[in-house]
Parts: sequence; C-alpha cells; structure tokens
Amino acid sequence: MENILEIKNLCKKYDNFELKNISFTLPKGMIMGFIGENGAGKTTTIKAILDIIKSYSGEIKIFGLDNRKNDKEIKEDIGVVLDDMFFPEILTPNDINNTMQGIYKNWDTKMFNDYLKEFSLLPNKQIKTFSKGMRKKLEIATCLSHHPKLLILDEPTSGLDPVARAEIIQIFQSILEKDDCSILFSSHITADLEHIADYITFINNGEIVLSKTTNELLDKYGIVKCTEKEFKDIDKKDYIKYKKSKYEYEVLIPDKKEFKTKYNISVIDKITLDDLMVLMIKGEA
Amino acid sequence: MIGFIKKDLAMIKSNFKLLGVLIIVYAIMGLMEKMDISFILPFMCVMIMISSFSYDNYNKWDAYSISLPNGRKNSVKSKYITTILMTLIVSIITIILSFIISYVNTKTINYEQILVTMFGTIFGTLLVLTIMYPIIYKFGVEKARIGIFLLVFGIVIVGSLIANFLDLSIVLKSLAFLEDYLIIILIIITIMMVCISYKISEKIFSKKEF
Repeated sequence: MENILEIKNLCKKYDNFELKNISFTLPKGMIMGFIGENGAGKTTTIKAILDIIKSYSGEIKIFGLDNRKNDKEIKEDIGVVLDDMFFPEILTPNDINNTMQGIYKNWDTKMFNDYLKEFSLLPNKQIKTFSKGMRKKLEIATCLSHHPKLLILDEPTSGLDPVARAEIIQIFQSILEKDDCSILFSSHITADLEHIADYITFINNGEIVLSKTTNELLDKYGIVKCTEKEFKDIDKKDYIKYKKSKYEYEVLIPDKKEFKTKYNISVIDKITLDDLMVLMIKGEA
Repeated sequence: MIGFIKKDLAMIKSNFKLLGVLIIVYAIMGLMEKMDISFILPFMCVMIMISSFSYDNYNKWDAYSISLPNGRKNSVKSKYITTILMTLIVSIITIILSFIISYVNTKTINYEQILVTMFGTIFGTLLVLTIMYPIIYKFGVEKARIGIFLLVFGIVIVGSLIANFLDLSIVLKSLAFLEDYLIIILIIITIMMVCISYKISEKIFSKKEF
C-alpha cells in the first residue's frame, strides 16, 4: 500500500522536552488518530512535518517526497487546521477566499463558498465576530477548498462544546465518503477518533508508544479486572500495564483471546482509547 | 505570492478610513496655513505597517503561513512589497496635497521643493521600516518596539557625540557638491536599504521556528 506520510527517527530537543525517534507511516486513503495527553509531542511532530520547526533530525516524506526539499510542491496538496494558528482575525472569509486564490493553484472558490453556506458563516463578517466553533468551521472550510490529498488536523475539536465537536466529526466523515483523502488527526479527546480512525498512533512524553490499526487495538486489547491474588498469577509477559485501585486491579492486556486460553479470569472488558491512554500513562509496568 | 500581498492589503484596508480623515485634516491645516503636518501621513504609514505585524502575531499567522506553499519566502516578500506600495501611495497623496496647498497659498508651484518632499517622505518612511522589519522578524513585534526605542535613542546619543567632536559645517561643506545629485543619491540609498533589509529578514524568517 502506498504511504502518504512516512516519518523515520524524528528527533527534536528542547530544554525541557524531547521528541525521541518518532517513526510511523500513514497509508493512502486512511485516517490516523494521533493521540496523547497535552504536551506529549503531538503538535511538535506536526510542526516538524510542516517545517514550522526546523532544527530536527530524521526523515519526513510526504507523497514520497522529502518535506524540506519539496516544500512548495507538497504543500499545494496539504490542508491544515492548526491549534490556534490562522489568519488575522480582522479579516473576513471573503478576504481569505481572495488570498487563497493567489496561493493555491487548485483553490476552488465555489467549494469554499458552498462550505460557508453549509456552515452558516457570513462571508463579510470579520473572523473576530465568530464563535470558537464558527472559527473552527472556517478553518476547516479553508483547509478543504483546494482539494488536498492529505489533511493535517491538530486538535480540530479542542475547546469546542459536544454539539460543535459532533458536527465537526460529521463534516470529516462526509469528506471521507466523497474524497480519496488521507488524514492525520491529532487529538487528546480520543472519543472523537474511535469511530473514524483506521489507525491509532499514541505518543507519550515525546515517544511513540504504539501505532496500530484501530480494529486491532479495540478488538485485541482488553482490560482485565481482577483481585490482587489473581493479578499475582499473571505472567509479566502477558500484560502491558496495570493500575491498582481500592478493590481491584485493572490490567491492560495486548491479546484478549490468548489471555482467555491461559487464565481463568472471566472479567475482561472491551477497551476504549481513553482507557488505553490512562493506563499507558498512569499505569505501572 | 499575489495571495500573500492580497492578505496584507486586506488587513491594511481597515485603516483607510482613518487615513482619509488624516488626509482631510492635513489638507485643512495646510490650506489655512495653520501648520505643516506633512509628516502625519508617512507616520501613519509606519504605524499601519507595524500594526499589521501585531495582528499577524496575535493570531499566529506567521506559523500558519509556513504551512502554505512557499510560505516562508512569500510571507516576508509580501510584507516588503506591501510596504513599498503603501509608501508610494502615501507619498503620492502627500505630493498631490503639497501641490494643491502650495498653489492655493502662494499661486506658485515650487517643483523642486515638492520633489524633495516626495523623495524625503519615501526615504524617511522606508528608513524606519527597513530598520524595524529585521528586528521584528528576529524578536517579535512587542520586543521590537523596545528595540526600536533603544535604537533611536542610541542614534541620537551617537549623533550628538559626533556633533560635539566634529565641526559639522565642514562636513556639510565638503558634501555640498553632492547637492545636485541629492534625489539620485536618495533613490540609490533607499533601494539598497530595502534590498539589504529584505535579505536579512528573509534569512531570519527562513530559520525561524514557532
């Protein structure tokens, strides 16, 4: 399968934070949920992909091309929604349309105006008069209206109320039905991703903890709830992390089927991405 | 490239009303022979351009612009082109007003004076902005304000020290032969200033991280 995005051994060092050997690939036509808590390194990784940060080591290929050597060519086909970065708020959607006509070869004014109508955004109103949800919708309309092949979305639902979040997720779902587009979708709100992501890549403290298909994760991984005595019988090789609560142990296991054949513990819950994140970050090895 | 210029012009247009009011005030003051405030329009030009950096900074446009095709280069280039356009527009308005005011008040037109005013306006405006832009790109618009204050303060101090030690009349006399070429010299210096400033800003921005 052709890869739209390939990252190999990406490293970047700050005084108090470090990206360590980030590697993952996003196949064509797929959605990757890029999850991790705030400050885990999601935005830094995205900034490296887009060349917003420069002094990093490693290799980033987009559409098979080096992201730094082929900047213009690559960015013609990328749409981005970045956390808190956009056009100055004294501008209007009409100004954005005029600007983008002169930036993207494939800018589609009709498509942009259709999105404005669909999202009920007035073309002559300054961005500063829009609510947070409306701004996000405008950013989404802007990122989609040049027919991108890759969408890079950094926390597009962060700070929104549940209704606006659901609306935005629905917008992306409908785009996927229409276009053959790949998406890297970073979020710490994992519930947004469970239904739309084909792959989940989990970053913690600057390191990739896992990168797998969503089905594999949700079907194979599980949470065993057991007593202390039962937990002590479990081989360390058969679990990833565990968390001790007042009355029971919650144990993250990588393979429910295999576990059932080995142990006689009946309570194995399905995992959610939220559970996975909490156990991976807060659990003990 | 055109898109980036359109974005900068769209930002500036919100200041056009204020600019219009100032033009009227300038014209009235001049026609009533109350006061020559020809400095007001170039001053406004500087303020408008600096405020465009503040708006960019507030919404992190610079970082966003890098995600666009050729964003690193075009973002800086468009700022300089928009600045030159604005300076020319303001200078043309200033010259037309000087022309009208001079004719109405004295019934004569001092072409030489008007030309010197125009090139002086362009030179002065671009001098301030070309010094400011690399500082803004390096340190951000907020820190640059302090930087510019220190720079002007430094120039005044150094200038007055030089003036104390040198007899300026001798210097001026020795440069008198340049007077006939004043406009050409101003044009050459202005072009050089803009080019050098642009190259420095471009270099700073090409390495900048957000």
